[in-house]
Amino acid sequence: MVDEMEGVEKTHVEEEVEESAVTTIKANFALLERAVVQFDSRFTLRALRSISSIRKKLDDKTLFEVIVTTYNVGDETANVLIKAIGISGAQAKKIVQEIEKRDNATLEATKKKDVIPEVDIYLAVLIQVFLYDNKIYDRGASFSSVLVDRIRSLNRRTLDSLAARAYFYLSLFFEQLDPKPPSKQSQVIDMRGKLLGALRSAVLRKDTDTQAAVIVLLLRNYVSTADIAQADALISQSEFPSTAPNNQLARYMYYLGRIRAIQLLYTEAHEHLTSATRKAPTNTVAVGFYQASMKFLVVVELLMGDIPDRSLFSQPKLENALEPYFKLVQAVRAGEMQGFLKIVNEYGPVFRRDGTHTLVLRLRQNVIRTGIRRLSLSYSRISLRDICIRLGLESEESAEYIVAKAIRDGVIEATIDHEKGFMQTKQAGDVYATREPAEAFHERIKACLSLHDECVRAMRFPMNQHRLELKNAQEARERERELAKEIQDGDIDEDDAAGDFDGL
Amino acid sequence: MPAQDELRSTLDQLHTHLQKQTYNQTTPLLSRAKLALLHLNALIPTPDTPRAHLLLARETLELGALLAIRQRAHDTFTRYFQQLQPFYALPESVLPAAGGHASKITGLYLLQLLSQSDYLSFHMLLETLESEGGGVRMGDKEVQYPVRLEQALMEGSYDRVWGETKGSGVPDDEFRMFSEVLIPSIRHEIASCSERAYASVPMANAKNLFFLDSEGAVAQFAKERGWSIQDGRIYFPNQEELTAGDKDIMSTSGTVIENTLGYARELETIV
Repeated sequence: MVDEMEGVEKTHVEEEVEESAVTTIKANFALLERAVVQFDSRFTLRALRSISSIRKKLDDKTLFEVIVTTYNVGDETANVLIKAIGISGAQAKKIVQEIEKRDNATLEATKKKDVIPEVDIYLAVLIQVFLYDNKIYDRGASFSSVLVDRIRSLNRRTLDSLAARAYFYLSLFFEQLDPKPPSKQSQVIDMRGKLLGALRSAVLRKDTDTQAAVIVLLLRNYVSTADIAQADALISQSEFPSTAPNNQLARYMYYLGRIRAIQLLYTEAHEHLTSATRKAPTNTVAVGFYQASMKFLVVVELLMGDIPDRSLFSQPKLENALEPYFKLVQAVRAGEMQGFLKIVNEYGPVFRRDGTHTLVLRLRQNVIRTGIRRLSLSYSRISLRDICIRLGLESEESAEYIVAKAIRDGVIEATIDHEKGFMQTKQAGDVYATREPAEAFHERIKACLSLHDECVRAMRFPMNQHRLELKNAQEARERERELAKEIQDGDIDEDDAAGDFDGL
Repeated sequence: MPAQDELRSTLDQLHTHLQKQTYNQTTPLLSRAKLALLHLNALIPTPDTPRAHLLLARETLELGALLAIRQRAHDTFTRYFQQLQPFYALPESVLPAAGGHASKITGLYLLQLLSQSDYLSFHMLLETLESEGGGVRMGDKEVQYPVRLEQALMEGSYDRVWGETKGSGVPDDEFRMFSEVLIPSIRHEIASCSERAYASVPMANAKNLFFLDSEGAVAQFAKERGWSIQDGRIYFPNQEELTAGDKDIMSTSGTVIENTLGYARELETIV
């Protein structure tokens, strides 16, 4: 009895969920139509934003119901979409019957208004999401290919943000197909032609949404197969649109940072990765992205000879994910070669999966340098043999060369006495007698000023607002002119005025 | 298939030349081999190139690469390396890695990049190997050799670099070709480090320090770098004097004025 009751309740809840999903999707159609009429992409973006909430309730039945109630029976687009969902004939029939019973009319009888292409594409994107969440990658890949070709042939500016999303899922599907990257036979390599074509037409059509999305996808594609040279060529040959949405910009910065880090341009990499982490959404949606960019940022900071803040690792979002990196930082900070090698061995697979392994291996020299710096700070004179033992180096000769290089590169201020075999630290000079404080001050002022500029640029100015103001001004001017004319004509005003004075 | 047979015999000739180390006739032979490949339409792999042709093409290009190294023709070697890339990217089922020299050629190319101090390309290539997508593995000794060298160079353990280039760690004869390029460049690195690190060094020790054969060579080297030699010791020019100019506040007043004017301009736009 109890079981039955529960069963009843459950189906009831399910129905409600389905109902709400169908209505939300349909409500979004209105937004899309408004976007087309008013030519304002903000409505489209709002419709797209609700995908993340619809996603949890999305299933084949919901999609099917939306399609059959939106399109006329036998519509070609509808048939393609239904085929992509892959719903079985019996199930479809059942849903149709339910709807007919509910609405008291057959589907054939109800005539629907024409459907705008934006709705077609929006539904198609929903189907992409559905297929991806249900891991139907093969069908998703072929459906997405057809979809992006269709979008390109439509060439409507109101489709731009939808197109960007469609390309995003296209590339996700291809990444899941076997053999997966980084294999050289991966299908993502075949997809590059399509993406490059999309980039070309996006640039020609001034479609910045797609342009930004496709550049990011291409970079992701190249990085996944470690074709850094190609990625670098793409960056230098293409221009990332300055009006791109924030999330695309964050991704672009992340890939740029990764590529620059591999190319040993740490300062640039650091700059890009910092902006990627700052631009990353702070809520829980994109924790993965934040973590990934933080990992690279930590490694790049270490490579630059800085030690990341400890507080960074105590953030709840990062604590677990960055544990190996925390240990890495500790080892580098301590300048312990043995500890460092142990961590590299222990967490090798993790670093490899994160794509930071080669960067981590480069840290070896930093470990040694930090070690030398610590020694030079604590001893005014230390023998090369002791350095060799403390840092776990192979030989005294090695130690001598390494110390010499550290002196040349400005890591420490010291001299070596070759015959007696020791390193003598120079007295540290007064830093305030140099240009350094002024330079640091200049850096900070520059950062503040650029922050101000960015804030101004980030503000949203409503379209055609200035024209409204102009119009108001013009109207005011006209009124003034009329008034002046009336005064000149002098029929009422002077009389009135005179009358007033009479009264006095 | 006459083209195939002709190619086979040309390749055999090239192999003998490589072994005998007689290189003066190899260039026309290689041209003939590549012409034959073009006739077979196998210079660039296509999906329907038969395996036999792929094997021949790879062999030809690898031979060309090795011969280029022997003749110290680095640009030619780079060209061969790039032509070989599509072959190395083929899946194992189409073109088995066995019988080829993918690791060796890649290792040599890495070493060449290192000797040209092109660290950027070096690391970009290394990244592709790390991802284990192709037929070349990081663990191969031919690849490990340049990786070890780079690490030692970066750390500054020049004695290890010296040991590697001399000792038994060198995987193959072709790798030795680069030692003669690498050693002068590390010698100059050591020299620039020494200038900053030491006040003076005895001649006898300098001989070991710079990996030179005799004190005469040391004197010659010191002269090249502009060091003074007195009483059997090398004195390095005083670095303090060279850098003193930098720290002088007065000389930088120009930048200070420029910065302040910049702030004023920015403030004006804000207020």
